[in-house]
Amino acid sequence: MTATQEKRDTAETGNGETRTINLIQAVTEALAEELERDRRVVLFGEDVGARGGVFMATAGLQARFGKERVFDTPLSEASIVGAAVGMAARGLRPVAEIQFADYMGPGFDQIISQAAKLRYRSGGQFTCPLVIRTPSGGGVKGGHHHSQSPESYYTHTPGLKVVMPSTPYDAKGLLKAAIRGDDPVIFFEPKRLYRAAKGEVPDHDYTVRIGEAAVRREGTDLSLIGYGGVMPDVERAAAALAAEGVSAEVIDLRSLLPWDQGTVVRSVQKTGRAVLVSEAPRTSNFMGEVAYVIQEQAFDTLRAPVGQVAGFDTPYPYVQDKVYLPGPNRILAACVKALNY
Amino acid sequence: MIHPHTPEPIQYIAEDGQPVQALPERFTPDLLRGLHHDMLRAREFDRKLITLLRQGRTTFYAQSSGMEATQVGLARSLQAGHDWVWPYYRDHTLALSMGMPMFDLLSQCLGTNSDSCRGRQMPHHFASAALKFVSISSSIASQVPPAAGSAMAQKYLGSDEITVCTFGDGATSEGDWHAGMNMAGTAKAPCLFVCENNQWAISTGVQQQTASETIHVKARAYGMPGYYVDGNDIVAVMEVCAHAAAGVRAGDGPALVECLTYRVGSHSNADADAEKQYRTRDEVNLWLARDPILRVEKLLEHLGHPVSTEERSEIITQTHREVDQDVIRAEASGQPDWRIMFEDVYADLPSHLREQAAALRAEQEGVRA
Ligand SMILES: Cc1ncc(C[n+]2csc(CCOP(=O)(O)OP(=O)(O)O)c2C)c(N)n1
Repeated sequence: MTATQEKRDTAETGNGETRTINLIQAVTEALAEELERDRRVVLFGEDVGARGGVFMATAGLQARFGKERVFDTPLSEASIVGAAVGMAARGLRPVAEIQFADYMGPGFDQIISQAAKLRYRSGGQFTCPLVIRTPSGGGVKGGHHHSQSPESYYTHTPGLKVVMPSTPYDAKGLLKAAIRGDDPVIFFEPKRLYRAAKGEVPDHDYTVRIGEAAVRREGTDLSLIGYGGVMPDVERAAAALAAEGVSAEVIDLRSLLPWDQGTVVRSVQKTGRAVLVSEAPRTSNFMGEVAYVIQEQAFDTLRAPVGQVAGFDTPYPYVQDKVYLPGPNRILAACVKALNY
Repeated sequence: MIHPHTPEPIQYIAEDGQPVQALPERFTPDLLRGLHHDMLRAREFDRKLITLLRQGRTTFYAQSSGMEATQVGLARSLQAGHDWVWPYYRDHTLALSMGMPMFDLLSQCLGTNSDSCRGRQMPHHFASAALKFVSISSSIASQVPPAAGSAMAQKYLGSDEITVCTFGDGATSEGDWHAGMNMAGTAKAPCLFVCENNQWAISTGVQQQTASETIHVKARAYGMPGYYVDGNDIVAVMEVCAHAAAGVRAGDGPALVECLTYRVGSHSNADADAEKQYRTRDEVNLWLARDPILRVEKLLEHLGHPVSTEERSEIITQTHREVDQDVIRAEASGQPDWRIMFEDVYADLPSHLREQAAALRAEQEGVRA
């Protein structure tokens, strides 16, 4: 993250101290601090109570805040999401955990029919300020039901906000912004980064605005744009390019709906080349939208077709888990293609 | 006579191995020994799979230790290879005792070339067309409406097959469960629903799962009989499942059987250390005392046909040997390569997948596309 980025995001209230934590700790801290700050915040889902969540994101929170505010639900995503809608309409700030993004399916109707549309269809008389947190993405040898990246189902739904952080700083700041915001937010947590992504967070309270991308590395030859679990590999690819004398700008979208068109378009106008990276299947991938906006708004400056590295259009395989994911080599190959066009 | 909706679980063998009611004639010492063999074999399979996990040769495993009577008893009440099964992920004991070769189970768990599911699903999600044992979906309760449909098809086709659908207690909270039960009920479809109520859905106890006292009472709402059975009593499971299956087969419509049992181990390897977070040692000990395998051993002893220590250890050694040999054979078949990723997505390979496969081939083989 650049210095300017940090300033823009941060409400500078503390003493400037920072700590290094991992992404899942960032999630836990955000939840604990928001539970502490606002009595309307309640937390629930399958196994989030005594167990602390299957990934331990809510560990210790029930003991600290009580069973009224942090609780287990029956095994039903439709009930979890639907109840969150009702609570939100009634003035609470529910934060629901869906155990795996792959299991949002049974709650899908509640998300797209109720949560996303309550404000609009009631002329703004009712609102739905809820957050659905869910681990997503592959790389953990989970086979298709524990590895999918379903974000595009949700970015296709007006009324929702869709967020996917890749650093502890963003996870904490974006989750707090999501909880404090007045709209339903689907908050995807790239599970393979839960412990792998470590980074500094300030000691003081801060939020990261939903809808703003982060420029992770500045560059002039090529814009590498990604989000979520692929970011460490994107940065590895950029470092490899740097070693070859190629200056890649790295952008982490962080928010997919709404997304930061300005930062992306400005970057591509500067570099003339874009490579988009995600791990979701290629067809109807959210990055298709990014590519469209780039050609619409930066067509004149493009020196190569927009490159895309994505997952394959197959269900997520178990044995070939690592082959499926776009690693640094596949990303580099797309960069080389754009550079040599 | 077996009745639905009993307030207490139907039981034949008490915890101490004494019959609480006369054993039906078919339960000869030979049959009981066969059941004992199958249960012990399944338990040892569990033990070996946990070793394979520790060795990093597989990555996921959901034990059924403690639930052997439920799964073996159900298997023995069906016509294997004739009736259709829509199982859930904890059902390897059911699969084994319906006759799925251990080699096939292991091949799936190891994701080798010998896996009939071709390494696509996570471990412990096997399938067998020969056994009409339909591929397992991790998504809880998603098999319930399809099972209703499978049974509706059987009725439409005038077949005498029935469909069996299994699930845990947690599954009965999902909308899909209610949708499937309702559909089967209205269609009077020949479907036997079996709840393997092991009392925990990961860390959520059955009392937190549902406000109804038992699962079987829910059958009333869908217009079918609900049987309540001691799931650690293999005689009771077989009697009740056979009775319910006979009704289903005779065209009476669907039935629900709730087997009250207990998962003695952790939910999966993923929560191996989490046990103590949500249940007490006392509770586990209480259910260890109700162990279905010990119970049959005590019964056989009571009947004057005890299983000797030698016989017992022979079953154990034999199972371990079988697993070891099958693992070696499965691993020797190699791992499926990247090509399998693109096959079976559709009946025919569409052009976009052909292009993606070609690009991956170029990448994997280091050749230009
Ligand atoms: C739709 C869905 N939600 C959540 C999960 C995660 N999950 C896997 S197993 C499980 C508990 C299932 O409990 P139960 O149905 O009682 O079966 P048991 O494991 O106890 O045999 C949960 C919540 C899932 N697989 N599918």
